[in-house]
Amino acid sequence: MILALPLAIAWLSAVILAPLNGRLRWVGWLAIVQLSASFVALLWLGIDVLRHGANQVVAGGWEPGVGISLRADELGIVFAVVSIGALLVALIYEVLNGVHESFFPALVLFMATGLTGLFLTGDVFNFYVFFEISMASAFVLSGYGREQRQLRAALIFTVVNLLGSVIFLSGVTALYHVTGTLDMGQIARIMGERTASSSILIGVLFLVAFSIKLGLFPFHFWLPPIYRDSWPSVATIFAGALGNIGSYGLLRFGAELLEPELRFGAPVLIILGAGSVLYGSLQAITVRTSSEALAYSAVGNAGYILLGLAIGGPVGYFAAVLFALVNPVNKVILFLASDLRGWLAGAAFAIGAFSVAGIPPSAGFFGKLLLFQASIDAGNPWLVALIFTGSALSFLYMLRIYQRGFWADGKPDVFSSFWARALVLSVALLVVALGVWPEPMLSISRQAADVLLLGGH
Amino acid sequence: MILLLSLTVAVLFGSGSYLLMKRDLIRVAAGVMLISNSSVLFIIAAALRRGEAPIYPLPSDGLISDPLVQAMALTAIVISFGFTTLLLSLIYRLFTQHHSVDQEDLAAAERTADSELEPEQIWR
Repeated sequence: MILALPLAIAWLSAVILAPLNGRLRWVGWLAIVQLSASFVALLWLGIDVLRHGANQVVAGGWEPGVGISLRADELGIVFAVVSIGALLVALIYEVLNGVHESFFPALVLFMATGLTGLFLTGDVFNFYVFFEISMASAFVLSGYGREQRQLRAALIFTVVNLLGSVIFLSGVTALYHVTGTLDMGQIARIMGERTASSSILIGVLFLVAFSIKLGLFPFHFWLPPIYRDSWPSVATIFAGALGNIGSYGLLRFGAELLEPELRFGAPVLIILGAGSVLYGSLQAITVRTSSEALAYSAVGNAGYILLGLAIGGPVGYFAAVLFALVNPVNKVILFLASDLRGWLAGAAFAIGAFSVAGIPPSAGFFGKLLLFQASIDAGNPWLVALIFTGSALSFLYMLRIYQRGFWADGKPDVFSSFWARALVLSVALLVVALGVWPEPMLSISRQAADVLLLGGH
Repeated sequence: MILLLSLTVAVLFGSGSYLLMKRDLIRVAAGVMLISNSSVLFIIAAALRRGEAPIYPLPSDGLISDPLVQAMALTAIVISFGFTTLLLSLIYRLFTQHHSVDQEDLAAAERTADSELEPEQIWR
């Protein structure tokens, strides 16, 4: 029953927190304790899964494939750990700086519920339900702060993402129509044997739905306003936790469930990914505010995941998984540090910027290194050049943000607690530690990528 | 029957998308509602077949209708109901702040806010 524990803790805590006034200090700390408990349970489950392989529970004692199942494999659990970790950092940050609205802690816990369930489910319709739980909390959180510009950004975000959810639901329905099952393992098996043109259409539906969530180039238009105008901790939650739905969905549905369709569409994915990388990096250089530059940087980084996925094979999936896991951690550091002042925050921001640009010793270096390796293996010099250009551009815009944010004079001395700065710096030091001693990170990502290769076989 | 359903889904989705392009936010909300209802119909159409109700004891001869799509459709209806109320309350909050539900007015407010950004937030 250890499998249901992180989900149950988050869900119960969210219900307990809902009627409480989150602005009170003790309520905030209660939420932190509850989310930490869920996080520890996830880590425990993660160690169990990495040692003994995937873990499955079917509700109500039904046979697998009939009842609703929770399933933790290496891929799901690493995404869950990264996402809940990002939520925890954002929650601690907000409580340290003072929560502004009473609903904040409860909504963070509700989002944790949705995300944990989504990464630990083996059923595509449950994936949809948990996905909607986390999206519902995201819609309310996007209006956090009650300023006019936040509400305007929230409206675009809500309408576009509701449309994305409908597209995803249509994809799930079409999969059910074609395969007659909702179980991910069975779908992967049946789709692996099919070669019909209708499954290409299903692949396109999922690609569009997850590209909207991830903010890939032609579907990114809702992303910059929401990252620019929302509260820093909310932007952190969106970039560090919610965006993982898109990258996990692309990996799970693209590489595992619809593998033949992915291979068929690989040239299109390379074009979309390359467009995303170039467009995001160039826009990040030209925009006016640091949070907007970070938003476009997110668009650019999403492109790398798609490139890794399109190259495919053991090396391509490995690169995509590792990049998708390191990227949200970088975003957590950057969004929080750009809100703070002082040398602690400056150091944290510099580390995050190095990690995005892929400069050692940072975890981001290995993400870029594997992408280089994958594109050399694919024998495509254009991809190598593209990844190099993207990294050089990201170094340029990060330097620009750093210069304006931490060197320029006349910055108002915003009050922020010492502990908030220490928190951000400790996440940054974690990224350095992972870069200096990368063995665990690499072996775990390789195990997660192997799940994709084995899917359907 | 399948033809009729697919035509209905197409008309609902098409008119919903048309309303989504409108300036009036209430119409945008109506568009979202139509689109989510079209997806509910799409779910039902995915496994439509004539048969007995799937209740034990099952009839030994003949078909039973697929209970799973009905459960999925019910879940989707509940979720889309929740999101519709959320969207409408968001639009109401925008109305209390801007005294308008017209996208043009919101865009104008956006431009004013952009030009009023604090100097240190603007780089050029």
